[in-house]
Amino acid sequence: MEIKSIIESGLMETYVMGIATEEEVQQVLLLKKEYPEFKDALASLELDMEVLAQGMAIAPPPGTLEKVETEIHEIQRRNQVVQKVARPNTKPDGEDSKEEKYIEVEAESNQMRVNKAWKWIFIAVFILGKIFLASAIYFYLENRQAREEIKELKIELKQKIK
Amino acid sequence: MPKAVLNIPPAEPKDIRWFYDKYAAMLLGYINGIVQDHRKSEDHLISILTSFTAEFGMQERSQLSIWLELRQYAQSRLALITQESHSLSPAPVNSNGNLDLLDDLQKQIFCAVYYHGKSISHLATTLGSEEDEIRNQLKLSIDKMRRSRGN
Repeated sequence: MEIKSIIESGLMETYVMGIATEEEVQQVLLLKKEYPEFKDALASLELDMEVLAQGMAIAPPPGTLEKVETEIHEIQRRNQVVQKVARPNTKPDGEDSKEEKYIEVEAESNQMRVNKAWKWIFIAVFILGKIFLASAIYFYLENRQAREEIKELKIELKQKIK
Repeated sequence: MPKAVLNIPPAEPKDIRWFYDKYAAMLLGYINGIVQDHRKSEDHLISILTSFTAEFGMQERSQLSIWLELRQYAQSRLALITQESHSLSPAPVNSNGNLDLLDDLQKQIFCAVYYHGKSISHLATTLGSEEDEIRNQLKLSIDKMRRSRGN
């Protein structure tokens, strides 16, 4: 069928009036894509339907916009509450049970957790440290005493030589 | 009914205002054509604008213009209310001239389709005519109104 006769067939009118069958809707969408002439005619008809509606328009009473805005904000607020309540159920089971058992708290701690096995290691290191320290002091004193003895011996030897 | 869609993000106040300024009066005129009661029409206007604005962000894109989507949305919302009272009722009282251009049959067909979403086959059965005849009368009525506006 020629595109002009399709345009004149009333197909576009049933489409814009919202009473087209599914088959007709698909036909319109296809024709719109393939024929620029059809697309322009359809756009023109849609625009004219809007102009016709403007001709039949009735100005809403003052305060209507505020009522609509209030209702919308109320819906948004309700949706936010519903989302907050529904959020735990949307997560996987593992995360779900974790959130149920623990409450997340943001805080900085100056302590750290250490495995209990480290306790004996720390004690051993402490004792060994003490032993090394005692040994170091002992050998230091021994060394000092030995030096003094050497010094005295040297002086004694010098006196004998003289 | 095709799903409703808008090209604006949902529920931003400036968009609602823009949307309201552009379509509220047209929608009220349309609703009043269906409900035939000014007070009820205003109530429906608020609920339809609210739900449409709240919903369009979640719905898929369609090929229709915003006004046509909005009109069909309103029609489907009001369908349950008007289903019982409507029986190919006469044209709305305050049609402000456009519908007066049509003859009785055209007016009856146009109003049944435009305001109540009656299908061609339904009208053909109800009026005892061929579907092609109904389709033709619908096109003629739209053409008449378009021509009266210089299109």
